Amino acid sequence: MRRAALVGAGVSKFGVRKASYRDLIWEAGKACFDSMPGVKPRDVEGLVVGSVMPERTAFQSHISSLAAEALGIRPSALSARTEHMCASGTVGIRYAYAFIAAGLADLVMVLGVEKLTAPTGEEAILNMGTGVDREWEAPFGLTAPPCFALAAQRHMAEYGTTEEQLAMVGVKNHNHAAKNPNAHFNKGATLDQVLCSRMIATPLRLFMCSPITDGAAAVLIASEERARTLTDKPVWIRGTGQALDGFQLTSLHADYARWPALDRAARAAYTMAGVGPREVDVAEVHDCFAIAELIACEELGFCGKGEAGPFVAAGRSDYGGEVVVNPRGGLIGCGHPLGATGVAQAAEIFVQLRDEAGARQVPAAAIGLTHNNSGMGEHVVMIYGRDRA
Amino acid sequence: MTYLRAVDPFPLESADDTKLHEFYRSLASGRLVTTRCLQCRTTAWPPRGFCGECASDRFEWVDLPGEGTIHAFTVQEAGLPAGFDGPRVFAILKVGGHRVFAALVNADMAALGIGQRVRLAPLRVADDPKGNARWLPAFTTA
Repeated sequence: MRRAALVGAGVSKFGVRKASYRDLIWEAGKACFDSMPGVKPRDVEGLVVGSVMPERTAFQSHISSLAAEALGIRPSALSARTEHMCASGTVGIRYAYAFIAAGLADLVMVLGVEKLTAPTGEEAILNMGTGVDREWEAPFGLTAPPCFALAAQRHMAEYGTTEEQLAMVGVKNHNHAAKNPNAHFNKGATLDQVLCSRMIATPLRLFMCSPITDGAAAVLIASEERARTLTDKPVWIRGTGQALDGFQLTSLHADYARWPALDRAARAAYTMAGVGPREVDVAEVHDCFAIAELIACEELGFCGKGEAGPFVAAGRSDYGGEVVVNPRGGLIGCGHPLGATGVAQAAEIFVQLRDEAGARQVPAAAIGLTHNNSGMGEHVVMIYGRDRA
Repeated sequence: MTYLRAVDPFPLESADDTKLHEFYRSLASGRLVTTRCLQCRTTAWPPRGFCGECASDRFEWVDLPGEGTIHAFTVQEAGLPAGFDGPRVFAILKVGGHRVFAALVNADMAALGIGQRVRLAPLRVADDPKGNARWLPAFTTA
């Protein structure tokens, strides 16, 4: 199997954007090509686009071809769209990686894009219900917030996790986002602000939730041979894992505060990378809701099971702690344009491991991890290294 | 809004539309049923037309109790989809050895708690586009 590395990355401004679906593709593509001046669109052999619901928000399918044309890419080895709900971006990265590792392509772009705020705010939330089961869950009005709220309720009942500890995730990630000009939110937040924000689904308040956001992100992935000709600072793909517990809520682990699929995906990625959780310097984890970051820290092995509340409250997942979790601001601070999220996570690890993250730089970051999930039952983990190993 | 009226958030439940029609027919008469695989005898929830254990597609309908207890619940106050009002109670229930997801309708909010008893309360929702009645397997506090 051949090695592969990120050689370029770029992100659009995330937010409620006065921009079309195609505008967002142009913005992320431009930022990505700008990061890798040696590559022109015609040099890119493949394109994978992570995008969840353009049929509803842009009344558009045939997405990879649209994006290829918009960016001047003429795919000769790979062209595909991934729809895997909130994990679509990272699933796209895995496809690109597999093609490169197999020798079927040398340079592939993975782009994630979502125009979630169209056509109306009312429909935006209704559209999110397409990610849960249409027959057994969504007809009751179920969308993501109550799913994760159920996990939070079980985590509080099982481990004594408190609302203040959940709120600390919101404080940390909003404050990180204040240093990220591309984030949806730039004002930061205090513990009082988070705890006094509007209740969404008990116990999750507004500032503990990711917002509905427009945005796009792109990365360029190259084979080792091609990467060496393009840059002195490739960011190596060291490991990857993906695992499924189930789709419907009732297929998951009975206590909902335990996500065995994430444990399995993480173990697969760590084994492949030859590193353990203690060696991870910087992690972009899927904090669609504060409880998700707590459970992710546990299942990824950053702390023990049930200990994530005190772990985050003590600052152990912040600058100066054992691992910096969500330096770009996470989904809570940056927003969560579904298909773009996994790619934006990879873009953050790209700048962190190249020591190019500016005000957000994690000192001496050498190993980075991304965790992207689609619902509570499916998890995708990537591990990146500054060194090839 | 004309545009939103085109969106139907409920399943198509008639015999013409789903192999699981019997579930909805029973629900309309107040019974909670599910499928049992005729080959490996696994009882599923929710009902299914293909057995994920043994790959059989032959099944029979069996009754589940119309009551259970709350395993986890949340009250959603804001951010509900268009057409759904809050506060809305979502719960994972324990029913006859299965975990069942449902909304609790007309719930006694003061009685909500892990372990609280609940009972089936079939909920009639908008008819399908052909005018057939539709029901959802909602529960309420006992």
